Amino acid sequence: MTGSSASQVLLVLPVGIPWVLAAVLALLDGRRRWVGLLAAAGLGASLVSLVWLAIVVVRYGPMEMVAGGWPENVGITLRADPLGATFALVSVVVILISLLYELSLGVSWRVFPALVLLVTAGLTGLFLTGDVFNFYVFFEISMTASFILTGYREEDYQVRGAFIFSVVNLLGSVVFLTGIAALYSISGSLDMQTIAERTDILEPSSVIAVAALILAAFCLKLGLFPFHFWLPAVYVGSHAPIAAILSGALANIGSYGLLRFGGGILPRELEFGSMAVLVLGTASILYGALQAISRRDTSEVMAYSAIGQVGYVLLALGIGGPAGYAAAVLYSVVNSLNKGVVFLAAGLRGPLVGAAFAVGAFSIAGVPPAAGFVGKIAIFKAAIAEGSLPASLALVALLFLGGALSFLYSFQVYQRRFMRPRREGKPSPRSARFLVGALAALVVLLGLWPEPLVSFSEAAADVLLGGSG
Amino acid sequence: MIVYSALVFAVVFASGTFLLLQRDLTQVVVGIILISNSAVFFIISAGLTRGVAPIHPLEGADSVSDPLVQAMALTALVIGFGSAALLLAMVYRLYVSHLTVDAEEIADYEMRQAEALERVDDPEGEEVPAEEQDAEPIEEAAAREESEAR
Repeated sequence: MTGSSASQVLLVLPVGIPWVLAAVLALLDGRRRWVGLLAAAGLGASLVSLVWLAIVVVRYGPMEMVAGGWPENVGITLRADPLGATFALVSVVVILISLLYELSLGVSWRVFPALVLLVTAGLTGLFLTGDVFNFYVFFEISMTASFILTGYREEDYQVRGAFIFSVVNLLGSVVFLTGIAALYSISGSLDMQTIAERTDILEPSSVIAVAALILAAFCLKLGLFPFHFWLPAVYVGSHAPIAAILSGALANIGSYGLLRFGGGILPRELEFGSMAVLVLGTASILYGALQAISRRDTSEVMAYSAIGQVGYVLLALGIGGPAGYAAAVLYSVVNSLNKGVVFLAAGLRGPLVGAAFAVGAFSIAGVPPAAGFVGKIAIFKAAIAEGSLPASLALVALLFLGGALSFLYSFQVYQRRFMRPRREGKPSPRSARFLVGALAALVVLLGLWPEPLVSFSEAAADVLLGGSG
Repeated sequence: MIVYSALVFAVVFASGTFLLLQRDLTQVVVGIILISNSAVFFIISAGLTRGVAPIHPLEGADSVSDPLVQAMALTALVIGFGSAALLLAMVYRLYVSHLTVDAEEIADYEMRQAEALERVDDPEGEEVPAEEQDAEPIEEAAAREESEAR
């Protein structure tokens, strides 16, 4: 498992580059063009090393490294496996596009590039760590940076949104931290694999309460149905690239956390609570879709649709098994890209924007050839493959209903925004429009040629079932 | 001991939650600080072991008190401190622009401002209400023309 020192450097690069660069750029004026471009170059380098890392990890199996040269189980472990690498890859893609987008519109805060880099460092760090407390620390790095980013542009409602976002998510972090302390208390370790081995032989009754705490914390991050109350207030007010980063990259923490902690560390408890997970997912899908249909404002519709879309991830997680986990990974990836496209396109005007928005919106609804179709198909397959006949019938009916509802609101919002003749203002900068177009093209490309994505998500599901499960 | 620490955790957490639900934003921040400190307390009580201090040359001790818990508690404290400072800065920013820290008064103020903006007809035209204002007068005008034509 432990590779040579060259491959260990590769493991540190995706986290290290944005982190160090963020510290440097925090001292410079981010409104200058070259500072922003430097940040984008750093993100690009991090992305390249992640792609390399992902290829290595999928080919040769997970990679592990103990920081500081400590013996194993003493030092903090960094561990890269297909699951973490997939999530890190898609998050960095969305963040990079959002940063370039904001650069072309003009940055108005001196710390903006540094904050975006810090979010990236925190995210890649938590996707590539093998230690639960380290997970918490990286998670706080990215959350704190995003608290500040939510107030970007400093309109009053944005600062208020940032306050709500911070308070609710700090509460979630505390719940999660309590869960970690409880995990440590019952298993005596902070290493994910060791915890997984030890909780497996413990009394289920002592682990189930901890599992519920952790589940609640991640559902709060994701904005699932009973925990969704903060989400519209935050997404609607924030500036387009910030909304894209929040829902396209940061929300991945929630789905990754559910998969890693639910599927990887506490699989027995997840199976025990699968009914609750399925019910929560169903409620989210229906609630999000119905609310989205009843809203008029584009970003408000997309905020509620975000609540519905994460419901599918939870549904796939509740179905479980290799097909279910693979579908959950696949759907999270596709959902991040969709959300990036629609939130970014909603902030622009001019040619190409309508087409990009249409691709994003119909990918959310699951219309082929967009990537959303592949995600929906994967969940369909999982629903049919696992479980008894009446259960899979009910699931398939629910998926049809959810798909129909999301088609309805996607079409509504597209029609309202782009098909009605309106007084056009000045079109947005061409580079921003091309960026959104490129992201939309990626969504279509992944829909037309889904094999790499499917094989990545299957490899990720294997990690959960084999390695640490 | 476990009962006592559980009690303290419960009291601190509950008072934090109570403060979190207040309208005054500074009270909300204090509530969050209390809640995050209750988590620190929980971490400490998760590793309550009696023993000598865990300093490297261990001198003939059977049991050592758990050092990891204290490291975790310190980290959590620092993070909580930073978040509290950030939240207070946000509250101050809201105070500067609204001269109040009452959540409902701030929301009222924003409503009034949004209405005022709609009346002016936002030149950005990004908000949907403004867009509707654009569209509806045209429809109305069209309807009026039709009725006049008749």
